[in-house]
Amino acid sequence: MTNPVTENRRHFEDLTLGEVIDLGHTLVTKDMITSFAREFDPFPFHLDEAAAKASLLGGLASSGWQTGALSLRMLVDSFLSKLASAGGLGFTDLRWKSPVMVGDTIGGTVTIAELRRSETHPQWGIMALDFDVRNQNGKQVMTMRLANMVETREGAVA
Amino acid sequence: MTRWFEDIILDENFDLGSHTFNADEIIRFATLYDPQYFHLDAEAAKHSHFGGLVASGWHTVSIGHRKMVDTLFAEEDRLRAEGKEPGVSGPSPGVNSMEFKAPVRPGDTVSYQLVVTDKRASNSIPGWGLLFNRLTAVNQRGELVYSADLVGFSKLRDYTMPLKLRVLLALTKLPVIGPLLKRRS
Repeated sequence: MTNPVTENRRHFEDLTLGEVIDLGHTLVTKDMITSFAREFDPFPFHLDEAAAKASLLGGLASSGWQTGALSLRMLVDSFLSKLASAGGLGFTDLRWKSPVMVGDTIGGTVTIAELRRSETHPQWGIMALDFDVRNQNGKQVMTMRLANMVETREGAVA
Repeated sequence: MTRWFEDIILDENFDLGSHTFNADEIIRFATLYDPQYFHLDAEAAKHSHFGGLVASGWHTVSIGHRKMVDTLFAEEDRLRAEGKEPGVSGPSPGVNSMEFKAPVRPGDTVSYQLVVTDKRASNSIPGWGLLFNRLTAVNQRGELVYSADLVGFSKLRDYTMPLKLRVLLALTKLPVIGPLLKRRS
């Protein structure tokens, strides 16, 4: 069954192990940090500058979940939106290496670390993606391995 | 959770409450952070294997985090009302694993639960401990939505800083030596 939304996009068969995706860049502003924190992570060290200075973070920093969400957004823009993506399965080994502070610009790369056919759903392939997210000084801020399903061309025809 | 590291009991269950997802918030989150068609456009989503609009996994996880924070704050308020000093939680170093199981559709109600599965003193940050938390999210039909192994920092109550560290800390507060020490670290 052909999916009209994804038929002209890259499919699982078009992916190469070791392929590196450039995430581009995102400037993280104070407004972005506090609006995400108000909705999802209202710890004082994500909302208030004085509280943040006194915390382990040492200044107003984004929620780790926001750093992840912004990295995901960069991945969608640079890669997943051009791919017959069938959704995420989860991730492993997410590490927030250093905080993302107000005014930081984050970017980095994602590498295709694994490609395999799904055993339970042969119409899909599973790709593992290694994130290497860094700030404007080249300092690593986050790493993780994300697992995402991708439609196969074969599955689309069957 | 809000208790001091020393008082955390392993395998105790914390009910974090529930959240009902509507289409508007699913689309709003996806627009900002995960603009894939099955999170964004109910019509286009019909062509996906989901058969309709579903929430970004990152959205259901972010709501789960919010439920955890709210529970923590409520517990802190309760302890203070009893005249007790609550424990201190810090930022999280990471997530060991996150598995998305059942998709979340508009109208679904997701209930969140947390269990502390293990704890140990931090090797890298003196005075703090690490908590290993298992967070599970279940929908109104009892299906597992996601399961996560999270790591969190929690402050030690019974910690005395070694003399060497106390001297170093005092030095960093001096006007001349302080900036030099900070630059080195």
